[in-house]
Amino acid sequence: MLFFRSEEDVRAWCAALGSPPGPLVRMDQLWGLATTWYATRLQADARRPTPAEIPGIFAGLGLTGEFWDPRAPRAG
Amino acid sequence: MDDATRVKLAVYWHFAETGRGPAPEEVAGRVGLAPGDVLDAYRALAAQRLLVLGADGASIRMAPPFAGVPTRHVVEAGVNRYFANCAWDALGVPAALGRPGTIRSRCAHSGEPLRLAVGEDGPEPSAWLFHSLVPAARWWDDIVFT
Repeated sequence: MLFFRSEEDVRAWCAALGSPPGPLVRMDQLWGLATTWYATRLQADARRPTPAEIPGIFAGLGLTGEFWDPRAPRAG
Repeated sequence: MDDATRVKLAVYWHFAETGRGPAPEEVAGRVGLAPGDVLDAYRALAAQRLLVLGADGASIRMAPPFAGVPTRHVVEAGVNRYFANCAWDALGVPAALGRPGTIRSRCAHSGEPLRLAVGEDGPEPSAWLFHSLVPAARWWDDIVFT
């Protein structure tokens, strides 16, 4: 899970690895992920989202598809 | 509050207050448990994916979003400097602390440095991107790689 300055850098980096590029996430979307997972982490009643909740959280941020589903069939 | 929750809070607050992970003895002193009981709690928290332990079972590799070892993702907030486990966790540090910070990292391909200011409402406008090679269903197969 890395930062890239541009889509071209993502594509070149993935090509060098021989891997297809995954979805691109904007910084405002990443902030949504960060706050959902961590905003209550220092509190006693904090909890991680469940696998059933996660696709809905991603979809709310515009991140849809099998890539974002922790219950998706596992290839390989 | 059960022992595992008390230990979790002690670990996370130690990271928040110092920028580094605690030794089991420091956690034991903070919560009034024997060090062996702290290690039992560590194992329970690791099973819940709230900690990732080092090979010795006593050092903390990750207390997400905080990293217990140096990484390429550094977050400056207040007087402290934190290491984050990944790009997601780099934004997670100011989110967890509830205060502004500055992320310093670099582009994984070009090496260009990133300096991203994060306020209480989120990051400054930026065209930089986040990318993961690993789909969500496999993130915890090897969370250090992910």
